[in-house]
Amino acid sequence: MLQTQELQVNIGPQHPSTHGVFRMLVTVDGETVVDLKPVFGYLHRNHEQIAEANSYLQNMPYTDRLDYFNSMANNHAYAMAVERLAGIEVPERAEYIRVLMVELTRILNHASAVGFMINDMGAWQTPLAFGMREREKILDLFEMASGARLMCNYFRFGGVVRDLPPEFIPNLRELLRALPAYIDELERLLRDNEILLQRAIGIGILPPEVALSYGVSGPVLRGSGIPYDVRKAEPYSVYDRFDFDVPIGKVGDVYDRFLVRIEEMRQSKRIIEQVLEQLPDAKGGHINPKARQNVRPPVGDAYARIESPKGELGFYLVSDGSTKPYRYKVRAPSFINLTPLADMCRGYKVADIVVILGSIDIVMGEVDR
Amino acid sequence: MTASPFEIEIPRGRVIEVQRDDTRVRWGGGLLRGMAVVWKHWKESFKLNRSYSQIHGTFTIEYPEEQPRIPEAYRNMPILLYDDETGHELCTSCFQCERICPPQVIHMTQAKDPATGKPVPAVAEFIIEYDACMSCGFCAEVCPFDAIKMDHEFELSTDDHTRLTVHKEQLLRPISYYAKIAPTMWAEVRESALKKLQGNVRRRPDVIGLAPQLTEKIAARRAELAAQAVQAAQAAAAAPAAPAAAPAEGRKLTPEEKAAKLAAIRAAKTAQAGESATPAEAAPAPPSPAPAGEAAPSADKAAKLAAIRAANAAKKAAAGEAPATLPVAPADGMAGDTPADAPPAAPPADKAARLAAIRAANAAKKQQSGDGS
Repeated sequence: MLQTQELQVNIGPQHPSTHGVFRMLVTVDGETVVDLKPVFGYLHRNHEQIAEANSYLQNMPYTDRLDYFNSMANNHAYAMAVERLAGIEVPERAEYIRVLMVELTRILNHASAVGFMINDMGAWQTPLAFGMREREKILDLFEMASGARLMCNYFRFGGVVRDLPPEFIPNLRELLRALPAYIDELERLLRDNEILLQRAIGIGILPPEVALSYGVSGPVLRGSGIPYDVRKAEPYSVYDRFDFDVPIGKVGDVYDRFLVRIEEMRQSKRIIEQVLEQLPDAKGGHINPKARQNVRPPVGDAYARIESPKGELGFYLVSDGSTKPYRYKVRAPSFINLTPLADMCRGYKVADIVVILGSIDIVMGEVDR
Repeated sequence: MTASPFEIEIPRGRVIEVQRDDTRVRWGGGLLRGMAVVWKHWKESFKLNRSYSQIHGTFTIEYPEEQPRIPEAYRNMPILLYDDETGHELCTSCFQCERICPPQVIHMTQAKDPATGKPVPAVAEFIIEYDACMSCGFCAEVCPFDAIKMDHEFELSTDDHTRLTVHKEQLLRPISYYAKIAPTMWAEVRESALKKLQGNVRRRPDVIGLAPQLTEKIAARRAELAAQAVQAAQAAAAAPAAPAAAPAEGRKLTPEEKAAKLAAIRAAKTAQAGESATPAEAAPAPPSPAPAGEAAPSADKAAKLAAIRAANAAKKAAAGEAPATLPVAPADGMAGDTPADAPPAAPPADKAARLAAIRAANAAKKQQSGDGS
């Protein structure tokens, strides 16, 4: 009788496909994963503690560095939390600009998330370049408006830093003309590819009950077939004024998450078009509040959440009446979506781990904080 | 697009289920379709296409050869501004940027009037640690005087780490530079920034708050002008000997009158071999005007000192006179584009005249109060 034994393998922390410094302690039986233990914290930089030593406004650029793909979305959630805490009104036009920025962020995040997932499957670089292409143009738009491509720091309490520059809307319209062709092409490039199908279909299934019990959100949850979207469940900002659909998956495997992301890009494009229709009517007020340097919210606490491209991003703030938050907590979607990784990987092959990790779409800056 | 198993009604939209189509047999057709996409892009990649509405063609930039188009709002590292024409720094050391800076990389000290020791609205030392700066742009946003702005320069790599602790001398840029990189953003704040600068300059003793790049030039130019004034006055004093009588008491004098008077006084003084008046004034008032024109280092220093003293004295001497506004508009056709190269001609000339006048008034006073010293 041949004696077999389980083997422990470290994947990471410096593995090229771990999306940052992230270690997976994998127990394998041959090629099959028996257990997986995620080990993170390598990128821990004390974000929440630093935030408690900073004033409210000073934290805004730090939120950019949480999920550095979606700095606009992070800014939005944080600005909402402080506005809720301090009771600051946001002018309508600023709300539209915020929605516009966050939806552009969603497109670029999903495009690059798909690209990275294909990268993890071993199709090195070429599909990723396809995913990154329109992202570049969106980043140019961000740079135009906010001054930076990634660390936008564009939102302020009660508005945004500055109004859109005059060349922004024409460029955005041009980009919108290109987007459907781009999304279709990305789908055509990947969707029917036999290799991708073999690597994605039936792999990393996350049953809806398990997803719910872990508190998973975002495309991962919707891929499992649960139509939960914060934009619909608890419409914030001006999201109740737009028509858009919520795509869900059927099985909850890697392929479903991929398809949900592709479809969400289309829905985001729909929202942006509606924003452009309604934006001229939105009356501004003072959308760039320069004077709110010293926010001093009354004693209390507030939680604000948005549907960030990665899931439900929430900021919980407790104020003791001073200019600094007494408690500052981030509900990071990447972190919570990562927790069921062991359940998703158990029973599949070692080579699937990285693909499953790629399909969750994590950013270690947000996981470790 | 079947109905959701959860049957949830959502406002303004539907729940749609993605189409998987995973049962279809493809026999490599999907691979070929993907290859076709890649092939098309490869073919198109030889064409340049910068339009946002096209997904084909190359839109990348060959960076070192071709510089990227940088939008106006772009922010990289903070810089300080100074007025090209007068050399006055816009910063008043109000500490707003130091306070707001999230990584706390801005450090500054306030300038003090060397004569009285009181703080003045100017900055003595200003340090930004570029290596820890996070380019958030808050400093530029909160600055009430529009003195700190975000630069577009991004080629900052260096093998010398200490060079990334940047001092005021390296931070200072002329206003015209910023107006070139961000025309509309500067146009928005130009009026108020220059107005505030004027107000602050009034409260600064003369040479404090001048861009170090220009201090030497300004001092040299002043010494030159002072020498010219002396020369002219000596020539004038040769003819009318009278005006050396008494200093004006409360009477308002135009700078020209003052200058003439001063020169007369000084001429008289030098005639008396008044070299012993004060050491500071010895240098710019020599018996023969020639040596003052050559900006020797000591003359330079002396000019600075004298300028500070003169500004103080001006307050006393011309108490009744309306506070002399510092000229901001250039008197002659000095262009603001190449500030570093052009000598700061007109305003310092103006100033030098004023300065000489004040100095003369001082000397006259001293003379009057008994030729002691």
